[in-house]
Amino acid sequence: MKKIIRLTVNNEEHQLAVEPNQTLLDMLRDQLGLTGAKKGCEMGECGACTVIMDGITVNSCLVLAMQANGKRITTIEGLETEQGLHPIQKAFIEKGAIQCGFCTSGMILSAKVLLDKNPKPTEEEIRSALSGNLCRCTGYQKIVEAVQSVSEDDVGPARQES
Amino acid sequence: MSQYNVIGTRAPRVDAPDKATGRAVFVDDMKMPGMLFGALLQSPYAHARIRGIDVSAAKRLPGVKAVVTAKEAGLVRFGVSPARYDETLFCSDKVRHVGDNVAAVAAVDLETAMEAVSLIKVDYEELPAVFTIEEALADGAPLVHEEYPRNICAEVHQEFGDVEAAFKECDLIKTSSLTSKLQNCAFLEPQACIAFYDHWGSLTLYTSTQTPHYVQRTVAMVLGLPVGKVRVVKPYTGGGFGAKASASHLELAACLLSMKAGKPVKMRFDREQVFWHGRSRHQFFHTMTTGVKKDGTILALKNECYLNGGAYCSFGIATVYYAGSLLGGPYKLPNMKYDGYRLYTNLPASGAQRGHGGVIARSCWEQQLDMIAEELGMDPIELRLKNVMTAGDVTCNDLNMSSLGMKEAIEVVRDASDWNNKKGKLPKGKGIGMACGFFVSGAGYPIYRSDTYHCTVVVKLAEDGGTAVVYTASAEIGQGSDTTFAMIAAEALGVPLEMVRVESGDTDFGVDLGAYSSRQTLMTGQATKEAAEDAKRQVLEVLSKELNIPVEDMDIKNGLVVFKNTKPDFTALRTRYQKEHRGWIDNPGAEEELSFREASRIAYLARGTIVGTGKYRPPELGGKFKGAAVGTSPAYGCSAQVAEVSVDEGTGKITVEKMVDAHDCGRAINRTSVEGQMQGSISMALGEALFEEVKFDDKGRILNADLAEYKIPTILDMPKVDARIVESNEPNGPFGAKEVGEGNIVPTIAAILNAVYDAIGVRIHELPLTPERVYLALQEYKNKSKTKS
Amino acid sequence: MLLPKFDFHEPTTVAEACQIIAEYREKAGILAGGTDLLVAMKKKQISPQHLVSIGRIDELRKLDSSSGMLKIGACFTVADTAASEVIGKKWGALRAGARALGSPQIRNLATIGGNLVSASSAADLPGSLISYGARVVLTSTSKTRVVPLDQFFLGSRRTEIGYDEILTEIQIDEPPPYSGAGYISLGIRASQDIKIVNVASFITLDSSGKTIRNARIVLGCVGPTHLRAASAEKLLIGEGPSEAVFAKAAEAAIRDSAPRGARYSRASAGYKRAMVGELTRRTLGIAWKEALE
Repeated sequence: MKKIIRLTVNNEEHQLAVEPNQTLLDMLRDQLGLTGAKKGCEMGECGACTVIMDGITVNSCLVLAMQANGKRITTIEGLETEQGLHPIQKAFIEKGAIQCGFCTSGMILSAKVLLDKNPKPTEEEIRSALSGNLCRCTGYQKIVEAVQSVSEDDVGPARQES
Repeated sequence: MSQYNVIGTRAPRVDAPDKATGRAVFVDDMKMPGMLFGALLQSPYAHARIRGIDVSAAKRLPGVKAVVTAKEAGLVRFGVSPARYDETLFCSDKVRHVGDNVAAVAAVDLETAMEAVSLIKVDYEELPAVFTIEEALADGAPLVHEEYPRNICAEVHQEFGDVEAAFKECDLIKTSSLTSKLQNCAFLEPQACIAFYDHWGSLTLYTSTQTPHYVQRTVAMVLGLPVGKVRVVKPYTGGGFGAKASASHLELAACLLSMKAGKPVKMRFDREQVFWHGRSRHQFFHTMTTGVKKDGTILALKNECYLNGGAYCSFGIATVYYAGSLLGGPYKLPNMKYDGYRLYTNLPASGAQRGHGGVIARSCWEQQLDMIAEELGMDPIELRLKNVMTAGDVTCNDLNMSSLGMKEAIEVVRDASDWNNKKGKLPKGKGIGMACGFFVSGAGYPIYRSDTYHCTVVVKLAEDGGTAVVYTASAEIGQGSDTTFAMIAAEALGVPLEMVRVESGDTDFGVDLGAYSSRQTLMTGQATKEAAEDAKRQVLEVLSKELNIPVEDMDIKNGLVVFKNTKPDFTALRTRYQKEHRGWIDNPGAEEELSFREASRIAYLARGTIVGTGKYRPPELGGKFKGAAVGTSPAYGCSAQVAEVSVDEGTGKITVEKMVDAHDCGRAINRTSVEGQMQGSISMALGEALFEEVKFDDKGRILNADLAEYKIPTILDMPKVDARIVESNEPNGPFGAKEVGEGNIVPTIAAILNAVYDAIGVRIHELPLTPERVYLALQEYKNKSKTKS
Repeated sequence: MLLPKFDFHEPTTVAEACQIIAEYREKAGILAGGTDLLVAMKKKQISPQHLVSIGRIDELRKLDSSSGMLKIGACFTVADTAASEVIGKKWGALRAGARALGSPQIRNLATIGGNLVSASSAADLPGSLISYGARVVLTSTSKTRVVPLDQFFLGSRRTEIGYDEILTEIQIDEPPPYSGAGYISLGIRASQDIKIVNVASFITLDSSGKTIRNARIVLGCVGPTHLRAASAEKLLIGEGPSEAVFAKAAEAAIRDSAPRGARYSRASAGYKRAMVGELTRRTLGIAWKEALE
């Protein structure tokens, strides 16, 4: 039987009826049309479904929609604002950090949480923060370079939106 | 200063903004009105006779719209090579591997479809199965396919020169072997598709594929539809690497279900099914013997290989040929003998994976060359430089190295890695190793025998003159081909990149064999260049008439018409353009040059839509012997790599600390994309070298059909890759370009193997180099040394 | 991969949660982080008819070291365990285990209680916790009991926990002075790995630093549950810490281990035994260094 949940997704409040066995990933993709989070494994192994929930990255395939009740969710679609793309998105484009693009949403969101907390990470910290996001195309190097290229000024003080 | 404006730059990819924002649409992101969901019933047994199938309960389940088995699908055989069409959409007589396809259901939602699948009763009679080469070849072994005795799917016997005679001339003859494990392409996006059959009898298939053209032909052939009524569209695709280079049962089942149900049907593999479908790198068993002179001159190679092919042929004939033919270069080798065998077993079928057929062969040989160098007291780089081919050389098996920066690549990695100060001089537990490789830049012949063009491209100019649209059926699967073709079209047309739009991956746009064998940059690139030049010629022809200037005295550069002699008065043309665009805010005004936009509009007014066409088909390539086609290509890319590793001798754990990589890609179209291919292929090879292995239990069930236990490298496993582009000018490539996608994966494993030897003094002849394998090899070595002393 | 159907319960207090599971008993599954449970449900290995989420019970998310004893709520996440300064300072081996577990996303969801209740000998937290002498608090509607962690695991996927009980808290005493602990888990790749062998070692020296007063060595992936290397521990006690003694203890730990020779294991029994020795030696080295600090 469906239950009603309320949550904030990309700064917008939603009230949704969800099945108890529905994952946050399916809810985002099917009910909200936010298909930037991808299904790569559905077992929490690849990170393609990564979203930000109350400021931390989670595999949305391993979160029930019910568990997201009352939470603040940021998906890749929430990074672009009227001012344009987020600096991390720009960096990924400029540095060639994107090939097939299937891991990109999750990579960028993992990078965002890192940079929000730690605007000047070392390479080791970058690699550690992105170690839950598999990529089969790039060999990761240009991804690391993209994150490195985003300076403190670009990101600004840690944002509180997520 | 480059002679080009667009080629050779680091232009950001045309698809990157959409991919960075989550807007890029992959098949699984798509929905259609009334769409049904399909699910497959797949065999739990590795080998079993089907005595009966009862679908009645499934059909009765509310919400089920169609149930199909071999009865509905028919028994049209298909596959990859027409010589081995050994698959049907659904099994009728028996199943040949766990995950083999038996039936499919379409229902209102996935849950119902899955439930219906579980209600189908199949009466199986389990049969004895074969899983290994030895079991497959054993006397009286069960046959996977009755028509293939001894389970031999394909065998190759080739000899160039006279190997035995050459061995007699040799000062040193070395034999060694290498065994690999079954791989999985492990792209991030599992296969998915939506099929929609309409009332006009047209079938549209949206699918995650590398080869829309082959899928179109297979769907038409298997389901009995005219090719022209099957349209295959590839939205954004999340990697392929080989396993998406042929039509799958998923695609065929979705099409059939849509035809039966009259609704769009979506189907997708879950990760486990990606592994069951397989079609990735085979397991290889290579044994090689090489003979050399004292001075290091390589005289002869004898190569024997067994491939565990799984239940169907897939790309296997090409694979077993490649495992021999791709050793013809990049060293001068006058005598080469090859005996290859591909066996059927009751495992998921293997097919093609990045570096098709050449990776393990190369790994085995390049490790052996290091052993030879050591015995000769030569530096491994010196040995390679002594034998290396150069542009214009032809291998003993008739592969023509029309351009080849192999020597330059070796020198680049030698210097960039500080080889001379490191080789043999690193502390114990640390090592450095190198290897080379090369690969085709597009298969010389299609997978089905045909005189077809390998690609046709259309460049259409927008009626306002401001945009050129490239229509190609080629497949952007993540490698960046859309960007490559946009850049080639922009350069050839003489316009800025922003004025070009690429529409790709749709069989309605033309013929293109697709993204495999590293073919698109060279082949589709040539057709794109020709189409753009054709469009440009037409514009200049109209201009010539209007301005009374010969075509050859004009050109288009950077979006402007260049008059080689005196600039004519084109005020009348400009006024015409302005009048036709009254109210537009971006009209040309007082600029001194005539723009491409104006010229192109004038051409449209004179001739209607300006459409430039291009096509490409390689010339006849290769020798006349059996199998001569496999390995032919209009060009060859090559790489040299140096790996630095450290080995924890207490645990056997290897860390690759650095890779230096040089690749000759001809002229780099997009330098960032070239580096991305180099770094990416190294990560795939590193996984194969250190971690990756599809494991089975004794019933043929996969033990690690997931991304937790099938371990592809994470960001923490990847070293810094120092990617150096070595440019040559390939005469057969567009603007001199050739491949980078696969040649670069070829040397990596051997470079790591050789570095491990340098670190710990132990040669390992089986992959992957797991901590356990390395540790046990070290223990064995230590025990042997003890006995000796 | 669809999840099987279930009824969802989301109590906000331990008492409420206990009541729900007392009612549904074996039909109930307890959802904490979900990183193991939901995967097992997707694979249809288990299908509880009632899923009781304890993620919103505030009292289960606390970390309290005010009493000298460390009390960790069952739903304290692995990421928070890895990041906690107090844990890092006094219980470094636990932090090492938390850092080795899964991926950032998994650590963000996974809980310390869940890592114990899953009862896998490949899990990264039980080893160090046992070596620290940790206890778990099991709560039901009728009673609360405290069980030493080294008596908690009964077998693979089997624990002391009853159908009507919830693991609510982990308790660890502050290590005595001159103590140290080390934890290493050996895997194949650098992240997101399920490990081949893990070892935790804990030692307490006397005030001179010359004699080992107490030792606990815990071995993972070499038996159905984490094992104590009893004879290695015995061998160490009363000895002076040294590489030579640690090597002897490592040999004893190898004899204490009982890896299955199963064909489908992540590594052969022989290799696992060798690694028990190697990791025992290395973790004792870490523990010694820490004990002297």
